[in-house]
Amino acid sequence: MGDYRGLNVRRDRGGCCPPMDLMRSEAMQLVRIIVPVESAHLTLSYLGDLGLFQFKDLNADKSPFQRTYANQIKRCGEMARKLRLFREQMAKAGIAHSEMAMTQTRIDFDEMEIKLGELEAELIEVNSNNEKLQRSYNELLEYMLVLKKAGEFFYSAQSSATAQHREIEARQIGDGSIDSPLLLEQEMLTDPSKQVKLGFVSGLVPKEKAMAFERILFRATRGNMYLRQAAVDDPVIDPISGEKIAKNVFVVFYSGERAKTKILKICEAFGANRYPFTDDIGKQMQMISEVSGKITELKTTIDLGMLHRDNILKNISYQFEQWNNLVRTEKAIYHTLNMLSLDVTKKCLVAEGWSPVFATSQIQDALQRATYDSNSQVGSIFQVLHTKESPPTYFQTNKFTSAFQEIVDAYGIAKYQEANPGVYTIITFPFLFAVMFGDWGHGMCLLLATLMLIFREKKLSSQKLGDIMEMMFGGRYVIMMMALFSIYTGLIYNEFFSVPFEMFGRSAYACRDPSCRDATTDGLVKVREAYPFGVDPKWHGSRTELPFLNSLKMKMSILLGVAQMNLGIILSYFNAKFFSNSLNTWYQFIPQLIFLNSLFGYLSLLIIVKWCTGSQADLYHVMIYMFLSPTDDLGENQLFPGQKTLQLVLLLLALISVPWMLFPKPILLRKQHNERHQGQSYTVIHNTEESLEIEEDHDSHDHEEFEFSEVFVHQLIHTIEFVLGAVSNTASYLRLWALSLAHSELSSVFYEKVLLLAWGFNNIAILIIGIVVFVCATIGVLLVMETLSAFLHALRLHWVEFQNKFYEGDGYKFAPFSFALLADEED
Amino acid sequence: MMTTIVFFVAGVVASVLVLLCCSRGASTNLFHLTLIITATVCCWMMWAIVYLAQLKPLIVPILSEGE
Repeated sequence: MGDYRGLNVRRDRGGCCPPMDLMRSEAMQLVRIIVPVESAHLTLSYLGDLGLFQFKDLNADKSPFQRTYANQIKRCGEMARKLRLFREQMAKAGIAHSEMAMTQTRIDFDEMEIKLGELEAELIEVNSNNEKLQRSYNELLEYMLVLKKAGEFFYSAQSSATAQHREIEARQIGDGSIDSPLLLEQEMLTDPSKQVKLGFVSGLVPKEKAMAFERILFRATRGNMYLRQAAVDDPVIDPISGEKIAKNVFVVFYSGERAKTKILKICEAFGANRYPFTDDIGKQMQMISEVSGKITELKTTIDLGMLHRDNILKNISYQFEQWNNLVRTEKAIYHTLNMLSLDVTKKCLVAEGWSPVFATSQIQDALQRATYDSNSQVGSIFQVLHTKESPPTYFQTNKFTSAFQEIVDAYGIAKYQEANPGVYTIITFPFLFAVMFGDWGHGMCLLLATLMLIFREKKLSSQKLGDIMEMMFGGRYVIMMMALFSIYTGLIYNEFFSVPFEMFGRSAYACRDPSCRDATTDGLVKVREAYPFGVDPKWHGSRTELPFLNSLKMKMSILLGVAQMNLGIILSYFNAKFFSNSLNTWYQFIPQLIFLNSLFGYLSLLIIVKWCTGSQADLYHVMIYMFLSPTDDLGENQLFPGQKTLQLVLLLLALISVPWMLFPKPILLRKQHNERHQGQSYTVIHNTEESLEIEEDHDSHDHEEFEFSEVFVHQLIHTIEFVLGAVSNTASYLRLWALSLAHSELSSVFYEKVLLLAWGFNNIAILIIGIVVFVCATIGVLLVMETLSAFLHALRLHWVEFQNKFYEGDGYKFAPFSFALLADEED
Repeated sequence: MMTTIVFFVAGVVASVLVLLCCSRGASTNLFHLTLIITATVCCWMMWAIVYLAQLKPLIVPILSEGE
């Protein structure tokens, strides 16, 4: 197994630094596993439980349908579809599936398939029966309405007809004329001799279409029809569409066959349901009682049907989660099995994949168990391969570090085994956030909120949370660190909801004389030692507060920025050391360090010296004249003796370091490349064994073409980026000052202009309103908006200014085949 | 100066505590140590900057009216 030709995997670490947990990716190896077919399924199942093996797709050129296990995947797809149907039905019926019921009885997959099929058929049948019954039920209900309302028409019509009949008889006795109005006669259903044969159609029409219905009937029959409509009070469930619609009961009287066909067609067009009706009153009563009987019968049948269906669904719900999981894992296993290539003898499958070196024994253990459990005669073979491919990057994180690692990964996954900025990000990210957020009152609010999340961790992690809540819950440890550091910086800035406290000793400033006459004109004087911890409380609210704090915070930003950038450059040194890249060490790391520190490191030094000596020198001008007229006399800008010579030396160093970064590396790379090729042509003369070995290397080297111009331009870009970036990145750190200023100003505005104003009125109602407004403004603007804003800017500072000193971030993440991750994926 | 020593001591105490309570292999210990050292250095830097800035100030607080 010990192969010495592994050119990519540098086992020699340069002996500089002992290994540290999250610093570099776990060592990964390319592994080949040969599995006999009968134990393949079980092997994958155990490997899936382990979750430490990333399979490579060996059948990438085959379409999904050409693969070996396409049928199995179809089966799983079918079962998944059935399960989805069940879930829908359960949701419709309002039955929640129990989360537990983790009875670990191993269900046979084939049995489950059959059972699912049966259940589906049953469910579909029950549903369609229900639907039919429901439709009949609705039709009967409508029929009932027709019977009642149409009965009323006929009854009222009849009574008025008999009344008119008597009138006409009375008149007829008087007149003896034959031309009685046709309409009257038509209403006299009880008079058979003079009756014209009338037909009628009765039914229900939707109320909104009633007017149009009437109009079209009138036009179609040229007025030779009589329509009576009556509205139904409650909306009725339409049997066909199943919705509640307001309807009218109608009766249309007509004469003649053609009119009948026309009317029938119109009824169909308008979706008016027709129901038969008899004019005989006795029969009507009979019909009504019959229909009521049928209605109650149907109702009970429907209720029983629903109960039956609910029972089925409830039984399903007990086992639903388990089935779901099983189908999911089986599908995953078959997908993965499809990635393995079938060996020529068709008796075993070959799998290739990446796994961490530390997991070797666990994987071999799983393989053995699978062989034993599947009663296979042949064991699986585990073989480590050597390759030039770049392995995936794998960091073992716990619940605390995973959030920070995700922040780093969002920018780019680390290249295999390069230094992971996540290690320092765990501390520096919350720290920079806190520099911009600095208020211990707000910090305590954040801490309380996040502690609530952390204490209910177990409960919340199994629940399904909304998007925003999910993000906040995932970042709870980040927010906790942010809150802790904010409390610290709040104490240093001396701001508690923008109110300072004199907690760490006595303030350094006092009035010049006991009457404090000059306090508002000339100011206080420094009578004691500087305030021991943080900003002196006397500054708050004074007129010179902003000039002082601005100067302090700007200089602090520069100092912190230079420190973080130096850390970045030093990490690039560790990378160079780890990969034994001495070119990078001598011709990149050292000139970069010199350039940055001779300019901005010197600026930091000047800041500290100015503070320590209390000099009045203007650092702005010091830096500018250092470049413009370095040989001139410094005059009042002199901070320490020998400054002029130091500045000249530093300027020279900075100037040399630029070509130092630019030229040597491409030239030396070209020399190296030529040497390697030169060396090759010599060794081919040697004996055949060695030449075979070199052949392989020779081939691989042929792939590495060396374009000098490309390399040079690359180095040029890198140099320019660094040089210009040194200035712009340092200035970028000034956002620490800007956001901190914004936060403290907002906070003091809310305090003074809301709370104190409300207090000044001496009125309870206004005070309460003021407090409410203050709380809402604090939470909305300061705790939510400012948090997000500071988070974003701290993130940017890490991603750009810190990481572009050393981070390449072009790796890919280790994505093992794991059942635990499947569950997250689906949700 | 005194406070610097306090910070230093606090850092040492914190790292000793962590090593005692959750010692889990050499690489993990180094990791925890790195975190604590980084945190101590950051906190100390912040304190030191603010302290140095107030040692020999160039301006003094001029109170505003009505204070």
